[in-house]
Amino acid sequence: MTPFLQLQEVTKIFGTSRGPYVAVNDVSLDIQRGEIVSLIGHSGCGKSTVLNMIAGLERATAGTVCLEGRLITEPGPDRALVFQNYSLLPWMSVWDNIFEAVDSVVTGLSKAEKRERVEHFLQMVGLWQHRFKRPGQISGGMKQRVAVARAFAVHPSVLLLDEPFGSLDALTRASLQEELVKIWSLDNNTETVVMVTHDIEEAILLSDRIAVMTNGPYATIGEVVQVPLDRPRHEREIVANPVYREIHDHLWYLLTEAYAEAA
Amino acid sequence: MLRFSPARAATASVTPPTRATLTFRPLVPGESAIRARARSIGAALLFPLAGFLLLALVWQVASMIAGKDLPGPLATLGVFWHLLSNPFYDKGPNDKGIGLQLISSLGRVGAGFGLASLLAVPVGFLMGASPISRRVLYPVVQVLRPVSPLAWFPIGLAAFRSAGTATIFVIFMTAIWPTLINTAFGVMSLPEDHRNVARVFRFSRTKYVTKVLLPYSLPHIITGLRLSMGVAWMVIVAGEMLAGGMGIGFFVWDSWNALSLERVLSAILLIGIVGLILDRAFDWINQRFAY
Repeated sequence: MTPFLQLQEVTKIFGTSRGPYVAVNDVSLDIQRGEIVSLIGHSGCGKSTVLNMIAGLERATAGTVCLEGRLITEPGPDRALVFQNYSLLPWMSVWDNIFEAVDSVVTGLSKAEKRERVEHFLQMVGLWQHRFKRPGQISGGMKQRVAVARAFAVHPSVLLLDEPFGSLDALTRASLQEELVKIWSLDNNTETVVMVTHDIEEAILLSDRIAVMTNGPYATIGEVVQVPLDRPRHEREIVANPVYREIHDHLWYLLTEAYAEAA
Repeated sequence: MLRFSPARAATASVTPPTRATLTFRPLVPGESAIRARARSIGAALLFPLAGFLLLALVWQVASMIAGKDLPGPLATLGVFWHLLSNPFYDKGPNDKGIGLQLISSLGRVGAGFGLASLLAVPVGFLMGASPISRRVLYPVVQVLRPVSPLAWFPIGLAAFRSAGTATIFVIFMTAIWPTLINTAFGVMSLPEDHRNVARVFRFSRTKYVTKVLLPYSLPHIITGLRLSMGVAWMVIVAGEMLAGGMGIGFFVWDSWNALSLERVLSAILLIGIVGLILDRAFDWINQRFAY
């Protein structure tokens, strides 16, 4: 059986003024439907580049990225991306930001049905009463929830998250992480999630598997770590779990010692 | 090779100055809101007033040094008041009230500016959105933009055989460039992130233009229009001095010929005030569309 999302020997070379730069080299990864997989690594190691290639915003120089057996060549709503800086359109209300996405992606629904869907996801992320506000009038955490709602509302096959909680304070981050998993499980765990992060705790809390990337240039996946912890996971409980400790120490070792230097 | 450089476009597009907000905390505890507000308005008026008093002082000193050649502020204000007291009289082609002259000038500026905007906004949009059209058109823009607008006056005369229409043509040639360049620059500077949103969620071309490109570049376009209006209002005076017949520029020249510097200075004051009002109007529009 072919995997749901498959990266095969993916390489990305950027042309720079000082010649070609091999950002990502020979990355292969199979992801099954319903999995939550994290890409973790030092900043600048090319993990966002990998995510952008899954999103179709960038083409692989060599190798292939396939979703359900089809080659990815361009962006599309089946791979909804939650951008690192949220990327809401600042001249539109919260409602319009989600509605315009739903409106252009979903076919075969009446306007009323589309509006219903927008309402459903706005309620889900708890922003219904803020729907008329513009992005400039709400907090960073709320913007992030709008971005997540927008991504979920187009019913993507894969949800792509680029350091989704990176710029939030610790408390907001914890509650949003929990919310993300809640939304994920409300969708019967059929949603596949690929997430880029540099936060070890976040990766363990959320993921089924963690792909650890080596440092760039020529960054690649060094090791894929399984996270055999039962769900639902609660941050305060799992930190006491010996399995958690073990994974945490291993990841820490990989990132600070094994892959600390460029490969 | 000629290339469209955003840096140069940026210097051409003066970003509107951020509004200086003067806030006044109530100095007196328990002072009522209305009193505090009245005091803050009073203080806000105080500073500009001081500036004008300073100007009047310099003016007065200059006129005392120059003697009879330069009328002082008080003499000028008397004539200014006289002109404003009956602005709309019409005693034949060579003697009309200053209000009629102003309306005539505003009409020409409006016509030239309006036509220029109708051309500059779409062409600027095209140049911003399509690199090919940018490479074709930008060199032309670069060559035509530095030309003094008055140089177009003979062309206008030859084409339209009417000094009034030629003046409108001069305003048209003046008002194109700031709008064109700001529009192109605005459209071009659309952040990659906004573009990517449209790509990921498969916005149709229409939706991309109306919901992303246009709202994003609207403040840039309005800034361009504001700059265009500013230069158009400056050039109209010179244009009408050449064209004669009617308008505030003609009024200035006619007053000089009548050896009334009081009237010239009054006209200068009035031109400045109208320019300020036009600028404020665009500022107000810009705030409507800011995000």
